[in-house]
Amino acid sequence: MALTGDLTTFNFADILQVLAKDKKSGVLLVEWKDMIVAYYVKDGEIVFARPVDKVFRVYTDRNFDQLIKRLRIRKEDIHKTIERFFIPRLDQKEGIFSFTPGFIKYDSDIPVYYPVEELIMRASRNLTEEEVERKISDEMLVFEKSPDADSKLARVKLTEEERKVLSLVNGSRTVADIRKESGLDRLTVDRALYGFLAAGIIRRKRKERVQKPSITLDLLAKIIDKIKQL
Amino acid sequence: MKELRKIKIVVAGPFAAGKTQFINTVSDIKTVATEKKTSATNERSVKDYTTVAMDFGKIKIDDEHELYLFGTPGQSRFDFMWEILGEGALGIIVLVDSTDPKTFHEARRIINFFQSRFPVPIVVGANKQDLPNAWSPDDVKFALDISDDEGIPVIPLSAKNKEDVKKVLLTLLDIIRYSLESS
Repeated sequence: MALTGDLTTFNFADILQVLAKDKKSGVLLVEWKDMIVAYYVKDGEIVFARPVDKVFRVYTDRNFDQLIKRLRIRKEDIHKTIERFFIPRLDQKEGIFSFTPGFIKYDSDIPVYYPVEELIMRASRNLTEEEVERKISDEMLVFEKSPDADSKLARVKLTEEERKVLSLVNGSRTVADIRKESGLDRLTVDRALYGFLAAGIIRRKRKERVQKPSITLDLLAKIIDKIKQL
Repeated sequence: MKELRKIKIVVAGPFAAGKTQFINTVSDIKTVATEKKTSATNERSVKDYTTVAMDFGKIKIDDEHELYLFGTPGQSRFDFMWEILGEGALGIIVLVDSTDPKTFHEARRIINFFQSRFPVPIVVGANKQDLPNAWSPDDVKFALDISDDEGIPVIPLSAKNKEDVKKVLLTLLDIIRYSLESS
């Protein structure tokens, strides 16, 4: 199933989050205003980028190793394509994306120079106030570190500000508390939280309080039977 | 005449997620709607009428009970209605248009709203799965930042399909049953 959307409403931190969660492989095509770029994704990591003049060309090259051999790119140099065609574009908000899973075959290991967590944090540093509000929508939200936070953190180089924000995430401080106690400006804090959340470094703290349903088991069984018969 | 006891489930979700259709598909009565012509240009391009206060349908359970399905208005400018409708609800169904990723963040905001105010079971319905550009339920789940420990299942559906709508309702009711049995 293809993933399509518009960068103005679904930014790169969001896209990478979805690709990474399921460790997807395939090709992410982005139609920028000035060019179309194909980003090759292996197990949730962006490993290679190339501009294409015609989209169909992407779908004719189904073997990744043969493709980079034909393009005369050495494996140890493929990360330079990400530096050239991906990272500088993280501040651009206009573009249509479409991810097609599957069809590309990766025969051998591809070195990952920019782990997806690193790219997500870089993308989050470019978010506008309006964009961060989409995830950090309530100052009463409480976050906690994810169980695998350490392994994800080992793959990302945080800024000093981000480290400070992360140190304040403890499962009890609200977003409002973190903004206040960090002494940082609100956008910097919210961008960091957005990035941590998208990268799976933190997660929402689940509320322990659960309301007991105001209904008897007998009545509930009747409702279930009724729905089944509809 | 004895008054019927009303049991309430709230059907929430962003603009044009398919809430009114969802209710209409299983309701005994034609949905009592409070619709108005859409005003904003971007909304008008999606549909001509939208729910401004609430709409509801009902399913008669027995001679003493009726299940009410209350649909909330989708636009966040009507979010004061969410609070009113959430009060006393047995559970919440949040519908998402799986073909429209620009509404996913709004859907998450709605989940946050109900989680913080009404700690009752929530199910997400990934609607419009019959359309070719629909995101898969798993991808919708990832995009909505729903972690496994939140206990919010994401169920694929087409709100036009009665069996699909029943499946979403039954999933919610099963969670409620589990909650009752374990309390």
